[in-house]
Amino acid sequence: MKINCAFVEKILTTFIKEELSKFGYKKGILGLSGGLDSSICAFLASKALGPQNVIALIMPYRDTFPEDVKDAQEIGSLLGIQSRIIDISPMVDAYFSNFPTQNRILQGNKMARERMSILYDFSARERALVLGTSNKTELLIGYGTIHGDMASAINPLGDLYKTQIRQLGEHLGVPGKISKKVPTAGLWAGQTDEGEIGLSYAEIDQILYHLVDERQSKKELISSGFKKEAVEKIISLIKNSEFKRKLPPIVKISSRTVGHDFLYPYDWDK
Amino acid sequence: MKLALAQISPHLGDVKKNFNLHIKYIKKAKRKKVDLLVFPELSLTGYLLKDLLEEVALNTEKDRFFEEFKALSREISLVLGFVEEKEKGLFYNSAAFFSGGKILHVHRKVFLPTYGMFDEGRFFSQGKNFHTFSSAFGKMGLMICRDFLHYGASYLLFAGGSEIIIVLSAAPGRGVSEKEGFATCKMWELMGEAVSRFSTSFVIYCNRVGFEDGMSFAGGSFIYSPMGELLTKASYLDEDFILQEINLNDIRTARKKWPFKRDDKPEVILEALKRIVRRDED
Repeated sequence: MKINCAFVEKILTTFIKEELSKFGYKKGILGLSGGLDSSICAFLASKALGPQNVIALIMPYRDTFPEDVKDAQEIGSLLGIQSRIIDISPMVDAYFSNFPTQNRILQGNKMARERMSILYDFSARERALVLGTSNKTELLIGYGTIHGDMASAINPLGDLYKTQIRQLGEHLGVPGKISKKVPTAGLWAGQTDEGEIGLSYAEIDQILYHLVDERQSKKELISSGFKKEAVEKIISLIKNSEFKRKLPPIVKISSRTVGHDFLYPYDWDK
Repeated sequence: MKLALAQISPHLGDVKKNFNLHIKYIKKAKRKKVDLLVFPELSLTGYLLKDLLEEVALNTEKDRFFEEFKALSREISLVLGFVEEKEKGLFYNSAAFFSGGKILHVHRKVFLPTYGMFDEGRFFSQGKNFHTFSSAFGKMGLMICRDFLHYGASYLLFAGGSEIIIVLSAAPGRGVSEKEGFATCKMWELMGEAVSRFSTSFVIYCNRVGFEDGMSFAGGSFIYSPMGELLTKASYLDEDFILQEINLNDIRTARKKWPFKRDDKPEVILEALKRIVRRDED
């Protein structure tokens, strides 16, 4: 799972630069959380587009993660990109005062979608394309909010596992306190991805790598020493999140249908 | 003989723009006194066309682009890739060799990858042959991308007498490790070395670069000598233009040292293949 970071950096920065230029954009915009993935995305975008063409929105809810806000600001000034804090508390509170809930997942999802909504509004205001920050691990196990943090125009990180993202972070010079952070979806204070799933990212990634990249079966994984419960848990996470990785199915009625047999490249005429 | 490889990033679905890109490289190559300039697979259209295929398809008899390439080929020989509408509604992934004001040969891709990230069989008609043809530089054979990974195809060109094998490619890179380049780049280079050495022919591989829908075309175009030596290699990922002088006498030298061509037994292989195919049909 080790990667040649310089080579991967080159692929990703060229991808960001070329995709934006094809669509007639100079600027990229992203949500900067103070965690590793969005920090790496900011580093890559800054190298690809020049710091003056990268906008980072830091979007805290109340004072839930003060350290993260500080770290995100630090990344912003370290790179010299435009960063801006937008407090999402008024919008989120206004909604939940009408539809109160104590369910932390509902609250967290609403916040993720509020941030997405602001990113897309600023995308249009600033003529900047939204850069995705979901990594391959999260995409495969469905660890993200559909139409929330999973939404983007292009995603430079989506084919790198979390453990590979960590290698890339070290190579790019992301400050140690950020790369050493315990990964969290930030749904609530004290929540950690690994705590919730019950496996470390190193274990999750090894299982995913053998299942997905090496196309091994459940049986092969278990007989090569992976724990049965862990493998089953990961497979069920993948299956139950397939809907997040697809456009919704369209019922086919006509002779040519969007998503079925009306097939054009994303980069159509770009 | 002076060769040039244009490792370009074609514009997806825009034949006019790509035509101009070709002209730019042809002019550059002419200034450098190049004899033969090679472009990648589908260099006139881009790769991931899907339903755009029909809009960018060309016919070598009818489209004016071919008249211009033919005219230019009086001074410099050209190989390029395009979508060919050979008969109405039948689209091929084709490559044409232009020289002396004419099209000397059109190869239609035989092995259309249709698995994993590839979907060519869904859109393209399948070519049916691997011909060799004579040119001012000797006997040539063309292949398009995946054709080259089926070693039977290389054998057919070898048995057909080719001395120079040209591969036009649009190969996306995949698989990263601690080494530089994609895992798949090594696969192409391995084939280049093996085919050139054991067919005692030059192997010229021209790949493209750039991105289409997140596919990253890997570049890394190369030329191998008839002794299996790497003569030149283009950069990975970047647009590139490489020039290489080759000595056609190397074919003779290689074949004197290693008489694989003299000792080949196509009639034995033909009969054995017939038996194998017949047995499979049972």
